[in-house]
Amino acid sequence: MASISLDKLNKHYGSLHHAVKDVDLEIADKEFVALVGPSGCGKSTTLRMIAGLEDISGGEIRIDGKVVNHLPPRDRDVAMVFQNYALYQHMNVYDNLAFGLRNKKVPESEIKAAIDRAAGILGLHELMKRKPRQLSGGQQQRVALGRCIVRNPLVFLFDEPLSNLDAKLRAQMRIEIKRLHAQVPTTSVFVTHDQVEAMTLGDRIVVMRDGRVQQVGTPLSVYSKPVNRFVAGFIGAPAMNFIEVTVGPALAVTADGLRLMVTEPAAQALGAYRGRKVILGVRPEHLVLGEGAEGRSFDCVVEVVEQLGSEILLEARLGGTRITIARVAAETAVAAGDRVRVSAPPGRLHFFDAETETAIVG
Amino acid sequence: MAVERRPMFGEQQRFMLFLIAPAALLLFLFQVVPIAIGANASFRDWALYNPKKIWVGLAHYKAVLTDPAFLEVVLPNTFIFMVVSVFGALVLGLGLALLLNRPFWGQRVVQTILLVPLMVAPVIAAIMMRWMFNDQFGIVNAVLEGIGLEGQPWLVERWTAFGVILLTDIWLWTPWFTLLLLAGLQSLPKEPFEAAEIDGTSTWRVFTHLTVPMLQPVIVVCVVIRAIDAFRTFDIVWTLTGGGPGRSTELFSLYAYVLAFLNLDLGRGSAAAIIGGLIILVVGIGMYRLVDRVTKS
Repeated sequence: MASISLDKLNKHYGSLHHAVKDVDLEIADKEFVALVGPSGCGKSTTLRMIAGLEDISGGEIRIDGKVVNHLPPRDRDVAMVFQNYALYQHMNVYDNLAFGLRNKKVPESEIKAAIDRAAGILGLHELMKRKPRQLSGGQQQRVALGRCIVRNPLVFLFDEPLSNLDAKLRAQMRIEIKRLHAQVPTTSVFVTHDQVEAMTLGDRIVVMRDGRVQQVGTPLSVYSKPVNRFVAGFIGAPAMNFIEVTVGPALAVTADGLRLMVTEPAAQALGAYRGRKVILGVRPEHLVLGEGAEGRSFDCVVEVVEQLGSEILLEARLGGTRITIARVAAETAVAAGDRVRVSAPPGRLHFFDAETETAIVG
Repeated sequence: MAVERRPMFGEQQRFMLFLIAPAALLLFLFQVVPIAIGANASFRDWALYNPKKIWVGLAHYKAVLTDPAFLEVVLPNTFIFMVVSVFGALVLGLGLALLLNRPFWGQRVVQTILLVPLMVAPVIAAIMMRWMFNDQFGIVNAVLEGIGLEGQPWLVERWTAFGVILLTDIWLWTPWFTLLLLAGLQSLPKEPFEAAEIDGTSTWRVFTHLTVPMLQPVIVVCVVIRAIDAFRTFDIVWTLTGGGPGRSTELFSLYAYVLAFLNLDLGRGSAAAIIGGLIILVVGIGMYRLVDRVTKS
């Protein structure tokens, strides 16, 4: 069991591309950390540096307190699951699982015991004699997970392992990975561009963008207290609504067709911005359709109605801004072109500096 | 009342037949007809000095198949040549391909230089080799004597001469293997190798357990193409040794050539050619079965 420390980690490709910039991260023993961000944000590169598949341009990586910068992958005692599974196509499932242990010349009886245990956890017993190409995507990914478990490594690394699966299977495998982590608690780093995966799997999530860490925290803290506009927009689905507003006097922000009261602490933080423009952020699921008190609600015009069966998703227009409203009761009678009243609880409003885009916190 | 007959081919089929007609005609004139003439000749006593073409049945086939020179020299030579030359070029080609598959400074230059033998005509290569291994003026003996060893009469003894033939052929064909195997290596997925690296696999085990099995389809196709091609090698042997000393380095194609065009015994030469054709047909079918099995598994 092991902790991982990343200290001022940097990665340059040539002189032009700076893929990872000063990443600091402490991952505790047995913790499950999800690295999430849009493609090209440096999350995979960071993972591959931990694995030893990429050279480190600057900074330090420690696993279990030991600096591993110059150790080859085999000496880091990590195991990795790849996006396209990376199974050995010409070997059957048993040989795939045994390969890593045979490298270490572990006796066959021990290998068999380790594989039996992993196969039990992942339900692979029936598949042992099959070749990878005879397996479905989900089965292949389970074999890839099994290949990691049998080695009993210090660290599990996951590089977008669910991206090649269809939506239903992805949800199943997500649960399977969660169950696996509970059964075999091992320090894990999980890279994904899917914020739902990150939120559901991670003990903590790390949001990255352009090679920099934007925010580290528990899923709930990142969701409820995003540090900047990027994190606010990236985490949560559907994405947060952003409206440009002007900070007015007396606990209010205004925009064309909108005047909202803010909470006392928010008003204090916004004091310095009086008369200037800031970005108001509010999540679609926090907007409530229906009557609302003056100063806590606004009118907008429905443009698109998406009936999901369990709820309705509304696309509406407020002045020049498109906003999304989620969790509208499925039975609600609403049609495109309707003018509706939407209330926004003051406690659910976020504010961001218009230029730096960092959160203005009360 | 006239019954309307349906034409044998629809309009589209007639158009397709029209399109393939020129190729089919060429194939017929330059492949089928010569083979038929050759096959016909193989059953007749036909030489330039004896142009009556008397039917002799299988007499020529019997003569070739009981000829000690054919059975004890030519056939073994041909198969030894096939196996050693193809295997040698494969091993060297694979080695070079592995070296070129990892980036290093000056890789492009090295790659280009390694491919030079591909651009040399086999006859030229054979002439170069003949001079290099000449027992009086050759650079090989000069070097050997320079470092205090004894020069050898390379092309005057059977096995040294055969060795020079093999060396020439391997030198000529190694780049071909390198090129194809390198393309094969570069098309392999990266991740299994990374997974193996993380799994702590030694370089040798990666080679034997991943690289070779994953590259196997390419290797088998290369070997089959090259082996069938090696069976009919003529130019370098003819230029290097002319089949000598004596007839000791004759390959199958030289044997047929000598019979037909030096001894001018067209009947027996044709019979030898047909026998060779049948042998390579059998070997070829066996090898293609192998390709099928490998690519399907």
